Amino acid sequence: MGEYISQMRNPRTGWLLLSPTLIILIIFGFMPFLYVLVVGFFDWNVFAAEDGMRFNGLGNYRRLVFDDLFLLSVGLTIRFAVFAIVSEVVFGFLLAQMLTRNFPGKSIFRIIHTFPLMIAPIAVGAIWRLLVIPGFGPVPFVLDRWFDFTYQIGTYPDQALATSVIMDVWHWTPFVTLTMLAGLSAIPREPVEQAKVDGANRLQVFWYVTLPFLRPVLLTTVFIRIMDAIRTVDEVWMLAGGGPGTRFTGIYIWRVTSPGASADWGYGSSISLITLYLTIVLCWLLFIAISGRRKGEVE
Amino acid sequence: MSGARRRALRTVSSLGFWVFMTLLTLIPIWWMFVVSMRSRVELFSRPNLAISRLFLENYSNVLTDSTFQRYMTNSVVVSSCNAALVMALALLATYALSRYKLVGRDNIFFWLITNRMAPPAAFLLPLFIMFTRSFRIGNWTLFDTQLGLILLYCVFNLPFAIWLLKGVVDGIPIELDDAAMIDGAGLGGVLRHVVIPLAAPGLAVTGILSWVFAWNEYLFAANLTSVEARTITTGLAEFVTVTGTNWGELAAMSMITLIPSAIIVIVAQRYIVMGLTFGAVKE
Amino acid sequence: MKKAFTVLLLLAFALVANMSLVTADMHDWWADAAAHYAGATIRGVSESTPPSNYVADVLAAQFTELTGINVEFETTSWDQMYSKAINDMEANTGIYDFVYIEQDIIYSYLAQDYLVNLTQYAADNPDLAYEGYDESAFTSFADYFKNADGDLFGVPMEAFVKVYLYRKDLFEDADIMAAFEEEYGYPLAPAESFDQYADNAAFFTAYGESMDMDLWGTTVQGSTGHPASTYEFLESIGPSFGLYNWGINLETGSAQSANGGALDGETAVEALSFWLSMLPFAPPEATSSTWDEVASSFAAGRAAQGWVYGENAAWIATDESRSAVTGNVGVRLPVTAEGVIDAAMMGDGYIGYYDGGAFGVPHSSRNKEATLLWLQFIGQESVQAEWAAAGARITHTATFDDPLIAEQDAKVDGYYTLLEEQGPLFAGAPPFPFHAQVREVIDPFIQRAILGELTPADALSQAAMAVDEELSRLGYGM
Repeated sequence: MGEYISQMRNPRTGWLLLSPTLIILIIFGFMPFLYVLVVGFFDWNVFAAEDGMRFNGLGNYRRLVFDDLFLLSVGLTIRFAVFAIVSEVVFGFLLAQMLTRNFPGKSIFRIIHTFPLMIAPIAVGAIWRLLVIPGFGPVPFVLDRWFDFTYQIGTYPDQALATSVIMDVWHWTPFVTLTMLAGLSAIPREPVEQAKVDGANRLQVFWYVTLPFLRPVLLTTVFIRIMDAIRTVDEVWMLAGGGPGTRFTGIYIWRVTSPGASADWGYGSSISLITLYLTIVLCWLLFIAISGRRKGEVE
Repeated sequence: MSGARRRALRTVSSLGFWVFMTLLTLIPIWWMFVVSMRSRVELFSRPNLAISRLFLENYSNVLTDSTFQRYMTNSVVVSSCNAALVMALALLATYALSRYKLVGRDNIFFWLITNRMAPPAAFLLPLFIMFTRSFRIGNWTLFDTQLGLILLYCVFNLPFAIWLLKGVVDGIPIELDDAAMIDGAGLGGVLRHVVIPLAAPGLAVTGILSWVFAWNEYLFAANLTSVEARTITTGLAEFVTVTGTNWGELAAMSMITLIPSAIIVIVAQRYIVMGLTFGAVKE
Repeated sequence: MKKAFTVLLLLAFALVANMSLVTADMHDWWADAAAHYAGATIRGVSESTPPSNYVADVLAAQFTELTGINVEFETTSWDQMYSKAINDMEANTGIYDFVYIEQDIIYSYLAQDYLVNLTQYAADNPDLAYEGYDESAFTSFADYFKNADGDLFGVPMEAFVKVYLYRKDLFEDADIMAAFEEEYGYPLAPAESFDQYADNAAFFTAYGESMDMDLWGTTVQGSTGHPASTYEFLESIGPSFGLYNWGINLETGSAQSANGGALDGETAVEALSFWLSMLPFAPPEATSSTWDEVASSFAAGRAAQGWVYGENAAWIATDESRSAVTGNVGVRLPVTAEGVIDAAMMGDGYIGYYDGGAFGVPHSSRNKEATLLWLQFIGQESVQAEWAAAGARITHTATFDDPLIAEQDAKVDGYYTLLEEQGPLFAGAPPFPFHAQVREVIDPFIQRAILGELTPADALSQAAMAVDEELSRLGYGM
């Protein structure tokens, strides 16, 4: 019977199971990636005086190091991602913690809380634009009348950035809440009880018991949010058109490559690759953090 | 006595907190609803969160539009098929990654995940060429087909799904597989009788979130479809025009697109929490 | 014998006319010409504007009935429209049989040889040339869709100019007029100089504040997240000060004054300074406003005067379901600096941008014959008047005299008369084959000037440098 099992565990079967996934991702993920990789070494703009692609070596990469707009967009993207993700994790955790308690109407509150998650990013951007455009939205009106605060996302880049962070927090905190809730409800009771018996206060219980158990869920959630936050385009484009304060890398790439804007495919490809590379490095570090912990657990 | 009062106080304070949170969550959605209930000339009056009268023209305009109906059908077909495909493929893939000693298993896993990291704008041109040229049979191309979007959406949904399911499948003790095999079950039997039942919540949440991500996708749909396979999100962008964005109808359409996903989430709420553990330790 | 034949012929004609079979004749022509193509489907991409919606909803159905050729429209947003059309034409995929060509992008398309020469094509296919379609019947706007030989590459679909709009109810209110005259020492009137414009703007802003009204003195199309702001500066404000062709000298391939350009010159700085000085007098949404938001602000009664695209003038003045200022809209030529109008009359310049678009046929189309029929159908005279009434666009000289338009003209304070008489003072976009690319380079500097991060002079000198860099990268510069 053992033979039967090891025969069932033949790697060839494994590859077979994996193959449809690999085929689809190679065709629709890896092939376009190769294309972008190659184009990144060329000077190619369809509206240039001369037609066609010209090999440019690392010229595009040299250009992006001195491209103020690109560097600005990287800085903005990082600020956006950090502010948004940190807030989402903190709020998400607190809300999940509250949801582990019992109180009347809990499930209704939880369902309402997840609504934003279900709205298409482009609609989210539209909603928030309607909320914050002066002369139309209630937010600037209220801030101006009650607090004498001038709120114009078109005039103040910091307000635009803050608005996109708040919008992202509104949209994605529910996702974090749900994963945290799942993580919290999977924590066994005994260690917590034991720690309490040993005289740990709430902070200590959180730090030494809850957090280690929660770590894989936490890191995974952050990982997924980082991937998505860096790629953000639709919402912010709809909100502020990707103007000052919101020109994130995703939007910058879109402007550079869009045939109705710069139509600069060579340069756009090199920016995309650098962005992808930075994202991968960031995620790889997180990945090591997660899997490292898992290995430690096995030993 | 004081214990009961403390408990009551706690209940009241958490209720108060949640009412406040609910307001924060709902105000933007409520505002969208208000906008959808206004005629164009009313929109630019002083902001007012109340609905003054029942104005349904935006909804009736959207709902009676045959293109809108086509977009809606496309969105439903594309998201549902994509979610089903992603669930199936991700289950097979995670089972393979979890149970088989494959060369470079961790690297494959990581590479699968990286597919979600690519900035979508940069891939529009190669995908366009692929959709219009590479996959061509006679006059048929992948461009502007539901099939094209269903397959393409795997690029960002599969990594997510595999990540989610990996923990779930890893969490199913391998001894259960072995026991089933000893009872003479083949691979299909193991999947059907052991893995799928135990991974059901995880699978459900994978399906739901894939469905939502596919439903919400805009950039690919906008560029890789033309008339036949356009989805509802591209429909939203069509209201932004030179002669005045039609905010009322845009809001009405957004409200309508919210409904299907809201229903799914309400129905499947329980599974979402059960399934999202990413393999957190369960004892 | 000959005479008898002529009489017979005349009789026959009379008979035909009497039995009103003329339309049937027309039917026959379309049906005959389309005989080979009936059942075919042609597809086009366009922005969803009222004129193009009229084409999609009304004209397409009529055409299908006559010819059996189906017309499918993909309507999308402004940015998307470019991406999709250019991708299709560049990759030669043949998705679209006709594309919307915004006037300013035509030279880019011509330089890339994307479009079919319609004049040539009709001459080569006489069977398909409809006699009711006459290229010379178009207004001067069609000139901006022609190549050096005068051959047409797009059938004009919509055309409009950016005009000066003001609120008649405010400008003709006795109390307001008295208050203005007391403060400024001369009577209140629609602006004819930039100083007067600035006075009006300051006055109405202060007036709005004192009356606690949502009223400001001017519009500014100053979106910091959209090319619309660059367009208003380069194509409306700039020319009215005498800054032409974006300050780019095509011969030297430079925008810098040192090399024959003018983007960083005195006129440009003056124009930008003036425009930015209007921002404090514009409603707070100005820095988020593209063309449609400017129109919406004006329609909501939030601005006393402003620069508004003419395609919006009609609905702002007449459509009560969308506008709060119907019946109170005054239309004038935009304010210009001294000498600019004279120069424009002499043909040495222009006072603003003659905007609009046309439908053209990409070389990649696989149904060119059927599409040619379609374009002639929408280009013929008989469909123009109703289309103009529905979409506030005029592309035919004869349309101006149509009673339907005369009636409309009165409601929009003579906008159509202005378009007819003063239209030639406006000009299409400069013949740049690099239109969108260079605009994209200028954008950030205009935006930063709006935010106040750069002075007008700095913004323009940096923009000129960046333009030169882009021009040389594209191969058009020095």
